[in-house]
Amino acid sequence: MSQMHESVSDFHWLLDVLQTIDVGILVLDLDFNIVTWNGFMENHSGIPPREALGKNLFSVFPDIPQEWFEHKSRTVIQLRNRAFTTWEQRPYVFRFRNNRPITGLAEYMYQNCTFIPVSGVRGEVENLCVIVYDVTDVAVSDMELQKANNQLQRISRVDGLTGLFNRRFWEEQLVAEFLRLSRSPHPTSLIMFDIDHFKTFNDTYGHTAGDEVIRAVARVTRESVRESDIAGRYGGEEFAILLPDTAAEDALQMAERLRETIENTVVESEGSRLKVTVSLGVAGWCDSFRNHAEWIKRADQALYRSKERGRNRVSTEEKA
Amino acid sequence: MSTTVLICDDSSFARKQVKRALPPGWQVDISFAGNGREALSAIEAGKGNILFLDLTMPEMDGFETLEQIKSRDLPTLVIVISGDIQPEAMARVKKLGALDFIKKPVDAKRLEQVLTDFGLYSG
Amino acid sequence: MIVSDLDEELRDAYQEIANIAMGRAADLLARLLDNYVVLPIPKVNLLERSELNMALGSLEEFDSVSAVCQGFVGSRIAGEALLIFNDTSFQDIAELTNFAGEITPQIELELLMDIANILIGAFLKGLAEQLDVSFSQGQPVILGQHLNLLDLANRDYGNWKQALTIEIPYRLEGRGVDCDLLLLFTEDSLEVLEGKVRYLLE
Repeated sequence: MSQMHESVSDFHWLLDVLQTIDVGILVLDLDFNIVTWNGFMENHSGIPPREALGKNLFSVFPDIPQEWFEHKSRTVIQLRNRAFTTWEQRPYVFRFRNNRPITGLAEYMYQNCTFIPVSGVRGEVENLCVIVYDVTDVAVSDMELQKANNQLQRISRVDGLTGLFNRRFWEEQLVAEFLRLSRSPHPTSLIMFDIDHFKTFNDTYGHTAGDEVIRAVARVTRESVRESDIAGRYGGEEFAILLPDTAAEDALQMAERLRETIENTVVESEGSRLKVTVSLGVAGWCDSFRNHAEWIKRADQALYRSKERGRNRVSTEEKA
Repeated sequence: MSTTVLICDDSSFARKQVKRALPPGWQVDISFAGNGREALSAIEAGKGNILFLDLTMPEMDGFETLEQIKSRDLPTLVIVISGDIQPEAMARVKKLGALDFIKKPVDAKRLEQVLTDFGLYSG
Repeated sequence: MIVSDLDEELRDAYQEIANIAMGRAADLLARLLDNYVVLPIPKVNLLERSELNMALGSLEEFDSVSAVCQGFVGSRIAGEALLIFNDTSFQDIAELTNFAGEITPQIELELLMDIANILIGAFLKGLAEQLDVSFSQGQPVILGQHLNLLDLANRDYGNWKQALTIEIPYRLEGRGVDCDLLLLFTEDSLEVLEGKVRYLLE
């Protein structure tokens, strides 16, 4: 008798622990009706037990993606194998507001969940238990870290003044493309261009104006290129665009449009309205190039011809 | 001449477990093989009236061994003992002529039942 | 992988136990996907930490991978399971699970977790039953999607010296699905494991 008494009291304190533990516990029957839950679930959902117990899970929590939840549960029940879900996969299963004014950076609680098949006395799976862990802190700091990493990576690729790729990253892309081309040749072009009389700008209007001009040309370039094109700042006032899957004739047209747009752009700097033009050189990839530098050189030569022919124009490489 | 039993498994641990699961007092001569190729020569030498065969083995696996036994019409009764408990694996070995399938780790009662069912042992 | 000093009788027993646990996991996977799983022979080794990096780097046929890790502990045996999934496998897995639509990284993550839950969970269950122990599984950690294997190989794996590893390269029959399950048992677990297995060997 006293042993019986002891086990009942054991049971009581065990229930007390389950009720107060800072982890969500939810038990469902195989028709997804809520059999029982603990204080964590009640307090975070704000739903009183009488509106939840015995009711269908998806009517009590209409935000749960039903199909997904049923699929996971079926696998767990049929294979008698527990399943884990993580916040990376789905930020939350139960949409609980993150009620923390001071430490709460996230709007909703991030959750990891474990689905456990529960067998009855006959050995058949009769219930499904879902354990819910609040992983908001981990998720938030992980995402902050990722954001910082992305930013770092972006910074190391991008030129600060123009927002175009910096020379190092741009050239890496060119090398990679060059290697791809040597394996599977297809028409690809390169445009090199620089700002006409840039030195005069700097001398006449000052460095701030010079920077404004470079920024304006970069902006027009960014807006003119396609998603697949790779535009970079090659040097002081020199720019470069790699155009994958583009024949030289098409690149030539594209260069011409770019030239025209820049010619029609007015740069305002400290009260002055400045006109700016560029000279461009276009070179299609050619299987006789031994390395990417030869390709750049060919485009540079075309650029030089544009300068010789009076600037503000596009030239292509001399046919060898 | 008493019945010869061949236990074929690449793991000596598994071979020992099968041997230990055989009915005590079963009057048979037991030999061992580490893969299908060894098993085939042992059967040809008359050492395998009954063959307990594993499936996952190097050199020659259990499926291929069964094919060989079938195509060469070797005189042996095969009972597969394997950890590959996929229904597909069981179906395949039956189709290839195995008498029955016993899952690992081998259970002595189940083994005795199978032997009794096929009249190979009467305790 | 590089074989360190591991008693042959013990290695053989570990391999057989892994073989049975692997069979259980394959059975569940086959039922989930309705496709036969080709069972390999598990590779059991004692690895130094530096050899782990090399071992991971040597899975060269995988260009781009996704990986999940899950810790387990129980009866003084502890370790981690690492599932490395070849990214080219997702297309077939999606077909097998009747998933129609574009395979976004999010979908890949769902599929990856489904497979990991089964392969890791069922393997550990099969192992625990044979050794007569029970394991608690920790929350899985996604090491990354679309990783280069070198990224995995070059990670810092803490400061242990030696671990027992079991490597199982699963393959689906008639499908381009490849994944590697790697289990690592901590140094401290080795004695307990050996005791359990020696008992079975008697």
